[in-house]
Amino acid sequence: MSTPSVSEHELLATPAHTRRRILTDRLAQWLLLLPFVAVLVPLGDMIYWISERALPTMSWSVLTENQIGNSGGLHAMIIGTLTLIALSTAIATAVGILAGLYTAEYASPRVAQIGRTAGNVLAGIPAIVLGYFGYFLLVLYTGWGFTVLGGAITLSVLMVPFIYRTSDLAFSAVPATHREAALALGSRRIQYLGRVAFPIALPTILTGIILAMALGLGETAPLIYTAGWSSTPLTGLFSQTSFLTGAIWLFYQQPAGLGTLLALAFQAAFMIMMIVIVVNVALQWVAEHYRRRLRGLLS
Amino acid sequence: MSAVDIPVGSGPTVMATRGLGVRTSSRAILEDITLDFPDRMTTAIIGPSGCGKTTLIRTLNRMTELSPGLSIEGEVLYRGQNIYDPAVSPVIVRQKIGMVFQRPVVFPMTVYENVAFGLRIAKFDEETLHERVIESIQRAALWDQVGDDLYRPALELSGGQQQRLCIARALAVQPRVLLLDEPTASLDPQAAKSVESLITELDKSLCVIIVTHNLLQATRVADRTAFLYEGRLVEVGPTEELFERPKERLTEEYITGRFG
Ligand SMILES: Nc1ncnc2c1ncn2[C@@H]1O[C@H](COP(=O)(O)OP(=O)(O)OP(=O)(O)O)[C@@H](O)[C@H]1O
Ligand SMILES: [Mg+2]
Repeated sequence: MSTPSVSEHELLATPAHTRRRILTDRLAQWLLLLPFVAVLVPLGDMIYWISERALPTMSWSVLTENQIGNSGGLHAMIIGTLTLIALSTAIATAVGILAGLYTAEYASPRVAQIGRTAGNVLAGIPAIVLGYFGYFLLVLYTGWGFTVLGGAITLSVLMVPFIYRTSDLAFSAVPATHREAALALGSRRIQYLGRVAFPIALPTILTGIILAMALGLGETAPLIYTAGWSSTPLTGLFSQTSFLTGAIWLFYQQPAGLGTLLALAFQAAFMIMMIVIVVNVALQWVAEHYRRRLRGLLS
Repeated sequence: MSAVDIPVGSGPTVMATRGLGVRTSSRAILEDITLDFPDRMTTAIIGPSGCGKTTLIRTLNRMTELSPGLSIEGEVLYRGQNIYDPAVSPVIVRQKIGMVFQRPVVFPMTVYENVAFGLRIAKFDEETLHERVIESIQRAALWDQVGDDLYRPALELSGGQQQRLCIARALAVQPRVLLLDEPTASLDPQAAKSVESLITELDKSLCVIIVTHNLLQATRVADRTAFLYEGRLVEVGPTEELFERPKERLTEEYITGRFG
């Protein structure tokens, strides 16, 4: 048998349809880049637009001073926003994880379906409606008046569906074989959940928390009717508080002559952006770190 | 003591079923199974696919009740006590009657923590726990392969090692009975050999019950063999007898490979 010359080797022959497929592949790769860029461009544009207006007049006093009249800084709003987001994240995380756990692990298929639907509906309720709801329930009905706590609880209602959904998904995704293996060793269900299922589900749950926090940080409507407003920092859970999104909303509407307030509005927007970015990077680092630790162990 | 303590072969009966049935809402999966499992012996359960072997073995440590929609009748006795008695906790049952599955299920933890799992949840003190972990790994003939580094991820182990790790994990809880559902089905022949020789070692101190598709495996590891067919017990006896002089025509047809 004669060896075919290199040029006619079967591995080197590229039929026309294969060549076409390679081309299609390349084309698809470039075409898919477009929507990807479409996600990044508006964000980059926004960051630029805000930074351009916030940075020139940015100084430490923006962080450390309270706003007085047309001047001062965002001290009270920053503290207010950080407190609100910390409280609402704590509440939404606790409720969301436990509800997700219940849905994935304990509920009958029917009840689970009801829970999932309810979560989706809750996610779709306009923030302003939640604001009114919080106003009637947490401001008027409880007699608290405008409070940080009322604001945080209202905000947590907005955040909870996202943490609930990802927790449900994360726990549902843990292979059933793990449960059986744990129970076969004399484990109670709650021990299995804490020692096996939760560590596996955690990275996914963290993703939900990141999403919920970003969402909560950007909201104004649920807070306007519940948290009140104050130019001095909050003093306790039941005091009123101002917050960064409120500062944007309030100061951006001021007459054009009040340039300092307009600048403060952009600085508030800048601060929110920074907080979102820092929270995102931090939690993603935790999730990734944890995932890697698990992967070494998972597969 | 009780009706269950009939001596079968050499050892006393540790486990037994009496008129055991498992049914779905529409049909019976197992019917009227009465079987004794003697101590310090391996009993194999064989039969064609779908005859109810897995259902039977899972019913022996109350894993069946984790599958919704199955109801159980009759009794499963562990040292004379019906494990389905309302006063009996499934958690204790599963500590006394360990189980290993067809595919090794290792947790995303270190080798050490995998073996320690059952002990941790039973709240053993660190010292006893450590002793038991080492001892179980040795008993599962795994020490030579993992003894140098017990803190590596269990998922790095080979399939055969993982299955022996699962056995070690089950042994750590010190069960009296070990249930194995086709423990070598997902392993290569070499790994299967190592698990088999482990079983012949273990049944010197335990009551071992093994489901297997592999008839040769039954002849290699089992002292007694039970043949199931369509949810019923056709025949049970010493393995040699069952394979060489089956009493039932069905058994003979099955072991000579005429069906299944
Ligand atoms: N939870 C359940 N609900 C309904 N039917 C079931 C359930 N579990 C098992 N069955 C049915 O019971 C029968 C016996 O199943 P089982 O898994 O015990 O068979 P097996 O002998 O282990 O088969 P194989 O050798 O293939 O593993 C099958 O027909 C199966 O479909
Ligand atoms: Mg089976």
